[in-house]
Amino acid sequence: MGTLDYIWAGVLAVFLGPELFSIFGVPVPVTIVMIFAGFLLGIAVGATPGLAGPIAMAIALPILISIFGYTPDALLPVMGFLIGVMKGATIGGAVPAILFNTPGTPDAYMTTLDGYPMTRKGQAKKALRVAHLSSVSGDTFSDMVLFICAPFLALLVEGYLDLPEKTALLILSLSFIAAVIGGSPAKGLISTGLGLLFAYVATGEDFYPRLSLDSKVLAQGFPLATAILGVLIVGAVFKELTDLWREKRESGALVGTVKDSGDQRLHMAEIRRLMPHIGRSAVIGTAIGALPGIGSTLAATIGYTVGKARYQRTKSPEEPEFGKGAPEGIAATEAANSSVSGANLIPVLSLGIPGNAAAVFLILAADSIGGFNPGPSVFRFTADAVNTELVIAFGLFTAMVVANVLNWTIGGVFMRSMGVMTRIPKQVLLPTVLLLTLTAIYVQETRMDAIWFTLGFGLLGYAMRVVAISPLPFVIAFILGGKLEESARQAFASTGGDPWFLFTHPIAAVFMALSVGVILLTARNNRARAARAST
Amino acid sequence: MSNESRSNLVLGIFFAVFALLLIFVWIPLDTDTGLIEKVRRQVTIGDALAPTVAGIFLLIGGLILIVFERKAADQPEIDPVNLGFMAVVFVLLAASFLVMRYGGPALVALVNLTRETPLEYRLLRDSAPWKFTGFFFGGTLMIGGLISLVEGRVTPRAVLIGVIAVLAMIAVYDLPFDDLLLPPNGDV
Amino acid sequence: MKRLIRLGIATLVAAATATGALAAEWTPPGPIKLLIAFRAGGGADTQARLIAEELENRLGWKFIPEQVTGKGGMNMAAALKDMPNDGTVIGMAVTETFGYNMAAAPKSGMTPADFTGLSTTAGFQMGVVALTSKGWKSFDDVVAAAKGGEELRFGAMSPRLADLAYLLGKAQGVEFNIVSVKGGKAVMDGVNAGDLDLGFMAGIQAKGVAAGDLVNLASALSTPLVQTPQAPTFADLGVEFDSDGQFVFVGPAEMPAEARDALAKAIADVVSDENTKAGGLIKNNFGGATVVTGDDLTVLMQNGYESAGKLLDAASE
Repeated sequence: MGTLDYIWAGVLAVFLGPELFSIFGVPVPVTIVMIFAGFLLGIAVGATPGLAGPIAMAIALPILISIFGYTPDALLPVMGFLIGVMKGATIGGAVPAILFNTPGTPDAYMTTLDGYPMTRKGQAKKALRVAHLSSVSGDTFSDMVLFICAPFLALLVEGYLDLPEKTALLILSLSFIAAVIGGSPAKGLISTGLGLLFAYVATGEDFYPRLSLDSKVLAQGFPLATAILGVLIVGAVFKELTDLWREKRESGALVGTVKDSGDQRLHMAEIRRLMPHIGRSAVIGTAIGALPGIGSTLAATIGYTVGKARYQRTKSPEEPEFGKGAPEGIAATEAANSSVSGANLIPVLSLGIPGNAAAVFLILAADSIGGFNPGPSVFRFTADAVNTELVIAFGLFTAMVVANVLNWTIGGVFMRSMGVMTRIPKQVLLPTVLLLTLTAIYVQETRMDAIWFTLGFGLLGYAMRVVAISPLPFVIAFILGGKLEESARQAFASTGGDPWFLFTHPIAAVFMALSVGVILLTARNNRARAARAST
Repeated sequence: MSNESRSNLVLGIFFAVFALLLIFVWIPLDTDTGLIEKVRRQVTIGDALAPTVAGIFLLIGGLILIVFERKAADQPEIDPVNLGFMAVVFVLLAASFLVMRYGGPALVALVNLTRETPLEYRLLRDSAPWKFTGFFFGGTLMIGGLISLVEGRVTPRAVLIGVIAVLAMIAVYDLPFDDLLLPPNGDV
Repeated sequence: MKRLIRLGIATLVAAATATGALAAEWTPPGPIKLLIAFRAGGGADTQARLIAEELENRLGWKFIPEQVTGKGGMNMAAALKDMPNDGTVIGMAVTETFGYNMAAAPKSGMTPADFTGLSTTAGFQMGVVALTSKGWKSFDDVVAAAKGGEELRFGAMSPRLADLAYLLGKAQGVEFNIVSVKGGKAVMDGVNAGDLDLGFMAGIQAKGVAAGDLVNLASALSTPLVQTPQAPTFADLGVEFDSDGQFVFVGPAEMPAEARDALAKAIADVVSDENTKAGGLIKNNFGGATVVTGDDLTVLMQNGYESAGKLLDAASE
C-alpha cells in the first residue's frame, strides 16, 4: 500500500465505518455521530466553570468502553468522541473566562485579562467572536502541521532530547514563567516555589509520604484538580465575592450586569488587524505543542506576552492596552492555547508521550481498547502487509478534520449561546459556580478531604491576589513539579550518578544558561522600568 | 496602591523565614531519605532534594523582595475589612460542608428514634432519597447563605435559588451516571 | 508457588461446576465500595471496573469504585485497613503491595495479616524488554554490550523490580544504571523514546513484541514467558529471586467466611470466563486468568511478605 492508499483507507474508516442509523436511506456512520456528540459536550463542559475537557473525558471513557467493547472497531468512535470533547472544550473554555472572569482551565487564564474587561464594556459577544475565530484558526493550523509533520518531526525532536535535556527544558520553562508572569521576578519565584512545595507533599520515591506531618489526610498528597481549581477558580470566586460585597457596601446597591452595547459583529478590517496576532500565536502554540510535556498554558502565556510586546509598539494611542480589553489580547491567547492540541499529538502518535491532559486520555483510550499502540511503529508505511495502526492514525486525522468543520460551521453559534449566562446576577452565579466546582472535584476524588483542600487552595489563591502575586506560576509549577523531580532522578540515575548532568550535555547546558539569563534579563528590565517610573 | 505600603517587605520577611524553617526544620524532620542517598551501590536523589529546591525558590524570592523590591512602586495595601468579610465567608462554607457531611447520618439517627430496627446511613448511601439529603441541605445552606451575605439580608428568594441550583446539580451528576457519587457519599 | 496456582485453579474448577446458588446465599448488606489502587482509566483500573460491572449484572450487587492511588498500593491498603469488614468495602491492588512493599515500609505498621485475601485475577507476564532495533537477540548480547563499555539504562517501575535489576546485573557481572519510573507504561514510553535501553514490562509489551518492535530478552518470572518461551528465566541467569505477582482483590482483616467465600467465588467466576469483558481483557493482556483464593491466597500473601526480607537484604549488600 502506498501513502495515498493509507490516507484514503483512514478517511473511509471514518465515513464507511459501522452505521448507527440512516436518514432517508443515507447511512450515518457511528464515528461521525460520536465526534458530533463529543463536540457538543465539549463546548458545554468547557463553558461550564469548574468543568473542563479532561474531566469530561475521564468520566466518558469508561462509559464509552462499556458501550463499544474491546475491539479495534471501537477505536475510532471512542477516540473520535474524545477528540470532539477536546476540540469543543478548547473553544468552550473561553466562555467563562470572558463572561465571568473565571478561567475553567489554566490556559484560559490569560483570556480573562482582556476578555473580561471587554465584557464589562458591554462587548461580550464580540469578545466571544474574537475568541472563536482565533481558537478555530489556531486549531486548524496546528492540525495541518500535525498531518504534515507527524511522521518526521516528532522523531527528530525526540532524537535530540535525552533525559538531562528534558530536565533542563522543564527548568527553563519554570524560570521563564517565574520571570515573565507574576508582577515581579521575586513574586514569580515565590509563586513557583509554593507550587513546587505543594506538589512535593506526600509524593517521592520513599514509602513514607514526605512532608505529610504523619497525617493520613495528607498521605495521598494534593490531587491536581484541588490545587488547580482551588487556586484559579475558587480563589477568583472569593476575590469576586469580596469585591461585590464591597461595591454593595459602598454604593448601597449591586451593580447590575452590563448590557451588550455597540456593534457586536466582527468586521473584515478588524479580522485583518487580528490576523497577525492569530498567526504569530498559532505558530508559537504549534511549536510548543510539538515538544512533549509542555502544555497549552505555557503557549498561552508566551503567545500573550509576545503579542503584548508587539502590540505596544504598533497600536494607536486610542486603542485599549493589553489587559484593558484589547481584542488582540484574546486573539493572541486563544490562538496560542488552541494550537497546542493538534501539534501535541505529534509526540503522542509517534512516540506515545502525551503533552497535555487531553492527550493522556487519548492514549488511555488506545491502551484500554487495544489494537492501536502509539509508538514508532504507527508511522511505518509498510507496502506488503497493511499496517492497520497507520490506517487508524489517518482515521484520527480525519476525525480531527470533521471536528474542525463542525467548529467552523456551528461552533461559534453554540459557543455564543452560552452567553445567556451573563444575565444571571453575579451574587447568584458565583456561589453556584463554587458549589459546582466543589461537587465536580468530589465526584472525581470522592472524599471530603478534597473539598477542604480545594477551599484551602481557594484561600491561598485569594491571598495571592490580595498581595498581587500571580497564581499562574503556582499552577504551572504544581503541574510540572512531579515531572521535574522524576526526570531529574531519571537523568541522574541514567548518567550513572553524574551530579553535573545539567551542564555536561550541550543542549541541556544551553537550556540552563537560558534559564538563568531570562531571570536576570527580566530583573534588569524591571529595575530599569522602576527607575523610569520613579523619575 | 502607594509608596507608603510596606507589604513587599512584610511578604519578603515572611517567605524568607518560612523558607528557612522549611529547609532546616520541616524537611529534615518530615522526610525519610536525605538530599541524596545510596541504594544498590548507586547514588540516587533522595526525597528531600526536590522540596529543598522549592524552599530555595521561596528563599530567593523573599530575599529579592526584601533587598531589591522593598520600595517598589505598586505595592498593594491590605484592607482588614475585606479580610473580615472573607473570614465570615469561610466560616459559612465550613458550616455548609459540615452539614453536607453529617446531615444525612443525623437525619437517619433522627428517623431511628421512631423505628424498631435501626437504619445505617452507610448502607443507604446509594438509595434515594437518603443519598441526596446531606448534599441538599449543605448545598442549599451554602448558596442561600452566600447570596444573603453579599446582599446583606436573608430572603426567601436566596433560599429558593439555593434549592433550585442544588436540584439541578443533582440532576446533572446523579441521574445520568450510575457510578458518580455526590458528596458526602464516598466518605461514609 | 506453582503448586499453589495449580491448587487454586483446581479449587476454581471444582467451584465453577457447583451451582451459582452457593454464592447467592450471601448478599452484601449495602453497596460495596471498591478501592482501586491504580490510576483511573488504565488497564488495571479498567479490569477492576469491568469485574465490578459484571458482578452487578450477574448478582445484582451494587459496586461503587473509587481511586486510592500512590505509594505502590500502600495508600489503598492504609485506607482499606480500618474499614468495616462485612464485605461492603474491598480493594484491588497487586500482591507486591502486601509482600515487598509492606516489608520495605515497616513504619507503615501494616502486614498481610491486616487484610483478608479474596482472589487473584491475573499474573504478570513480566519480561525484560528492549527495542528490536537495538539489535540484541538474547540477554547475552545485553551483557556483552555492557561489558564492552556501553552504559545501559534499565527501567524499573517499583523498588522491588529495581532490586531485581540490580541483582541481575550483579549475577551477570555488569552494572546497570537503574532508572526508577512511575508505572509500566512509563517504562515502555522510555524504551520507545530511547531514554531507556531496556526495562521491565508486565504484559503491555505483548502487542509490541507480536509486531516485532520489541523483544522479550528474559523472563523475570519463575516460569518462561508465554509469548517468548525461549527467553531465559531469572533463575537461568543466576538470580535466585523472581518478580512473580498477580492482581489481587482483598478486604479488611477477619472478614466473615461467608462474605469472603462469596466475594472470592464471584470474582473468580467472572475473570475465568473469557466471554465476559473482564475475562476477555485478561485473556488479551495476560494470556488468561490466574485464580488463587481462600487459604492458598493467605499463604501466598504471607510468603510474599516473608521472602521479601531476603530480597531486601540481598539487594542492600
